[in-house]
Amino acid sequence: MQPASLDPTLRKLVIDWLDDNYHFGEAEQLIGSDDRSFLQSGILDSLGFVKLILHLEKTLGIVIDRKDLTPANFDGLAKIVGYVSAHPGYAARKRP
Amino acid sequence: MSEPLWTPDPAAAARSEMAVFQAECARRTGRRLATWGEFQDFACAEYRTFWRLFLDWSGTLCEGDHEPVCLGDGVAEARFFPRLRLNWTENLLRTVTPGDAAAEAMVAVDENGGRRAWTRGALREQARALAGGLQAIGVRSGDRVVAYARHAGETVLACLAATALGAAWSAVAPDLGVEAVLARFQQIEPVVLFAHFDHAYQGARKGLEDRVRAVLAALPSVRAVVVLDGDGFTGDPPPGVALHTLDALRRRGAASELAASTWWPRFPFDHPLFVLFSSGTTGRPKCIVHGHGGTLLEHQKEHRLHSGFGPSDTLYFHTTAGWMMWNWLVSALACGTRIVLYDGSPTWPQPDALLRMLQREAVTVFGTSPAYVQYLKEAGLDPARDVPLPRLRAIQSTGSVLYDWLFHWLHEHVARVPVQSISGGTDILGCFVLGHPGLPVWAGESQCVSLAMDVRAAADGVARRTGTGELVCMNPFPSRPVGFLADPDGTRYRQTYYSQHEGAWTHGDFLTLHERGSARILGRSDGTLKIRGVRIGPAELYSVVLAMEGIVDAMALAQHAPDEPGGTRLVLLVVLAPGRVLDRPLMLRIKKELQTRASPVHVPAVIAQVQALPQTHNGKRSENAASDALHHRPVRNLVALRNPECLEEIRRLGGAQAP
Repeated sequence: MQPASLDPTLRKLVIDWLDDNYHFGEAEQLIGSDDRSFLQSGILDSLGFVKLILHLEKTLGIVIDRKDLTPANFDGLAKIVGYVSAHPGYAARKRP
Repeated sequence: MSEPLWTPDPAAAARSEMAVFQAECARRTGRRLATWGEFQDFACAEYRTFWRLFLDWSGTLCEGDHEPVCLGDGVAEARFFPRLRLNWTENLLRTVTPGDAAAEAMVAVDENGGRRAWTRGALREQARALAGGLQAIGVRSGDRVVAYARHAGETVLACLAATALGAAWSAVAPDLGVEAVLARFQQIEPVVLFAHFDHAYQGARKGLEDRVRAVLAALPSVRAVVVLDGDGFTGDPPPGVALHTLDALRRRGAASELAASTWWPRFPFDHPLFVLFSSGTTGRPKCIVHGHGGTLLEHQKEHRLHSGFGPSDTLYFHTTAGWMMWNWLVSALACGTRIVLYDGSPTWPQPDALLRMLQREAVTVFGTSPAYVQYLKEAGLDPARDVPLPRLRAIQSTGSVLYDWLFHWLHEHVARVPVQSISGGTDILGCFVLGHPGLPVWAGESQCVSLAMDVRAAADGVARRTGTGELVCMNPFPSRPVGFLADPDGTRYRQTYYSQHEGAWTHGDFLTLHERGSARILGRSDGTLKIRGVRIGPAELYSVVLAMEGIVDAMALAQHAPDEPGGTRLVLLVVLAPGRVLDRPLMLRIKKELQTRASPVHVPAVIAQVQALPQTHNGKRSENAASDALHHRPVRNLVALRNPECLEEIRRLGGAQAP
């Protein structure tokens, strides 16, 4: 179930990327819960995280500090969406 | 003029085996061989003398007449050491230094922290016992055995035992789909299948039993399955196939005559040792046969002379059991070098998991790929600071082009050691360009051409020692394939390597040879696809895609990846049935089919619908024309095309991003 607080655009961006690059239409089903660890459940490895970060940076026009590339910020759909939602670059982009 | 990235210490260079052997050649021939250039010129021009001297100096265990060194002069036909007999395994397990039986020879580590180690003594004993066991179940010289196996210690042990008996070994990694496995193994007609039944990657375990059953069902030649892990099938094994575990076979063979003896059988120089696969642009993968003698001598030359491997080294090369670098890595046992195997994801459970393993195992030579170095860089990792590797003395990289900036990055962020870009391939089970202990490293370049290989750059019908062109080799060398399977008169073999440039081996790469002796590989010159260092067989890809409903035609191309300087990505062009549109569900379905039925590396980064694919007037499809259009280059031989107008649509895709 998708928590109401998750930015739906960002959520879809991540799911689509996982489908395009790793899970080919099965990402939503594999993830199951937005809190599920990507690392522990084999949804993404560190190499994949780096590719995802590069995709988010390019698509959203933001720069993610590599020091932030930790499981606490990125290991799971809710964490990724939460981190990017709070990113100053993304917030500025969303501001009218 | 720019400065070299790394310069050798003259005293260390003088102590290297390259320098020692160079001096030996000068002494034995009475020639002046003071410089690398003089040595290489001698080795190429007088390759018979060179290989004879190297055989003697290397201490290779063999029997028979060392003469003639080579029958014939033609690069395609020449045969080396026709009266010599030897055994690759025997030479790998020989005593390199007195009392080395107690020295650790092989370490197998997995991503969960599992670790097993073998001393040279244990490896010898277990290889002998297992060979005895294989003999007991009927494996004979001339047979072929195959492995569907992880990069684990038991895989190496099985290979050593089987090849020691004279059986040819062939392996694929567990991520290869059943159809792709069968496209390879059905041509081999193996008598034994070694198989892992369990596979863990990135924390997820996957049972392989269903795949093993499916493979066996289509391989009627297999008489026995040897389980490399666990007990094997949960139910009955397939009918007509005997089931053995590796440990049981080893115990059975421990009482054999072979296990009790100190001798190994020896085989003719060209006796089949490995069957490797080359993915062509058409048809099933080619089964390339390499021999005991050529493999052993070439690897000894590359390992001891060019790489300086010895008993004080620990070598790790990132590979799977299905890539030729696995064979190359295992061969380093012949130098007394300790080898490290790693089974699992290099980035799990931590982003720097592989580096931490290298640190724990005190690796001295780290073999990697540009893709992994790029990952380290993009992830913002700083290994020199966080995971220092104090024992490291060299980094080797292969699989694709290691660009200048990655040389600099490695030097600044991993270790200030020589970075050696090595390149060759499955076809020669070795390298055409590689490192040298006494030459400087220039960023973006391999230090030198492989010793005794007259490598030149062919352009406009002339093969030159310097300049840019297609990589050709003008003289015979021992590690050319013995031949291809299912090619009884050698037509396909000759067509593959010797038909493009008369009197030369044509490798399928472009390169630049510099005045200073270094070389820079520029990429593929043939229709082969190479994505992130992995060769992909378009024919396998087409067999999956064209079986899908609504897809009329398809063409796979390698494109420079716009987001990854120097990298390549796979682009698939599809022609759909009238009225069909390439929507997202179809795109994902194509990717899923390729992942499941071929392998993850066959999954394209980009899939695009086109109205037509370029064809010549003879009806032959032109990948070159499509590739030129995709890269916005002038299209070669445009007049040969029947439908040049279709290129405009492909040209517009040139800037296409991954969806």
